[in-house]
Amino acid sequence: MTASKRQLAMVMDLNKCLGCHTCSIACKTLWSKDDGMEYMQFNTVNTIPGQGTPKDWETMGGGFDAQGNARPARLPSRKEYGDAWQFSHDELYYGGRGNSRHLEIKGDTPEWGPNWDEDQGGGVFPNAYYFYLPRICNHCTHAACKEACPRGAIEKREEDGIVTVNEDRCRGYRFCQAACPYKKIYFNHQKHVAQKCIFCFPRIDEGVAPACARQCPGRIRFVGYRDDQEAPIWKLVDKWKVALPLHPEYGTDPNVFYVPPIGPAMFDGSGDIDESRPRIPDEYLVGLFGPKVLDALATIKAEREKKRITGKSELMDLLIAYEWKNMFGGFDKDPSKVQVATIQWTRKR
Amino acid sequence: MKAQFIRGVSLKELLDPEAMVWRGVKPEPLLLSGTPSALQPTLAVRAAFPEGTIGAVKNVVVAAAHNGSEIAFRLEWQDHSADTGADGQDDVGFPDGAAILFPTRKGAPLMTMGAPGLPVNAWYWRADENGRGRHVTAQGLGTSDTLDRELVKANGIYQSGVWRVVIARSLQTRNGGSAAQLSAGGKTGISVAIWEGSHKERAGIKSFALGQQEGWHELILDRQA
Repeated sequence: MTASKRQLAMVMDLNKCLGCHTCSIACKTLWSKDDGMEYMQFNTVNTIPGQGTPKDWETMGGGFDAQGNARPARLPSRKEYGDAWQFSHDELYYGGRGNSRHLEIKGDTPEWGPNWDEDQGGGVFPNAYYFYLPRICNHCTHAACKEACPRGAIEKREEDGIVTVNEDRCRGYRFCQAACPYKKIYFNHQKHVAQKCIFCFPRIDEGVAPACARQCPGRIRFVGYRDDQEAPIWKLVDKWKVALPLHPEYGTDPNVFYVPPIGPAMFDGSGDIDESRPRIPDEYLVGLFGPKVLDALATIKAEREKKRITGKSELMDLLIAYEWKNMFGGFDKDPSKVQVATIQWTRKR
Repeated sequence: MKAQFIRGVSLKELLDPEAMVWRGVKPEPLLLSGTPSALQPTLAVRAAFPEGTIGAVKNVVVAAAHNGSEIAFRLEWQDHSADTGADGQDDVGFPDGAAILFPTRKGAPLMTMGAPGLPVNAWYWRADENGRGRHVTAQGLGTSDTLDRELVKANGIYQSGVWRVVIARSLQTRNGGSAAQLSAGGKTGISVAIWEGSHKERAGIKSFALGQQEGWHELILDRQA
């Protein structure tokens, strides 16, 4: 395995995600509109606790165990991702039924979708809780998808570590799809190839941040090289240690990191606020981000307090992101001012 | 194995697995074995298919005939389901498949699907691409590449738990280097592989015919009488 010279990374601050799905739409609009991609969302946002996308993906296996062995895994189905629903637009808009019928889903009644359990969350009233978890491909350093492919069809770009599928080599065997423990690889059932998030590399190549980050109204996403000590990624991940990978126990060394959510305080039995106990259980966050999450939460709380009292905290100023350009490690060019390459996904064969 | 010469038979007739012409061609049963797990190129593939779990189809019956310019192989094997791939199976399905494999140079190894500089040439049929075959070359595990989708003709019929598939090509082709060149009166090494879709067999996960000559069976093409 040849290591990439540098690694691009993303940090998402879960305290700021408002669950608006602008990221998903920005991505969908740019990259997954071709035939066979209808059900694909390289970027998803799920309410958690919840079953996620694809449904119950955390139970499907993949990645590596502590000894580096490939963990058993199964393929997610298109239904588990949530198939693209077909609506009765034609009938209503062009078939003269616009005043007599509501918009309806055509075909079988769906049983699952990519955002099916939105805002359900966990806990019991008055201490119910939830937060949003946006996910893209983690562009892992130890990428299980790349290592699983018997044809070497998955590549990790030498210059920035972006993981891509070479669709001319891909034969649609889907070993990658099972091996990815985050289930962030989709199968194009028309072209018979695997497709996934490309970290917007045609934009990156022109100095533009990925669309999911650039379009985010909540300014939750930071982008940049992992080792750029002047930029926010290194500061959040390595200096302040408040950004952590999702499910580090999967053994793939992800390059997307999350600032864990603090969440509101508890209500006690008499309805008063109890600041001593977190609404989002520590053990739940440990289950997602590993035991280091407790230190990260403590740091964020301490720095919040410091900011409150003194008005000064490097960490809080970073996370607040007063100036959006400072979030993107130099990838801040205006996409309308550069020529971003389009992608010819598959050679016809 | 012999490829019987049949004067004047058309490719169209040979491509029909139920054509009368095949009744006059002596078939040969071949035993198939699973590819070794240890030879699979990646950890994930080996973990998904440990030793002893590969190779769902154990037997295939092969008949071969040529007309002096084209050669056809008729494969028949039992299969409890016709698997036509991912679509309609919620993206978790895999298609049944079959292939004939030839060395294109002396010494091209069967077990590793050729080697650098020693290509093998597969004529490949898949249930989800029924009607047309793939002309494939490989120079080692995981290197197979589709040369073209025109030269190999393939046609399968599934009925009552049996696949009957004909895979055919001209004896000679223009792309000499990586494609097998056959001739009436000549002989070549040959192997056969079957992928069982319902067993999630794909890529190197398949059963294949292991022969006596460095793994290859021998195919003798009748002279044009």
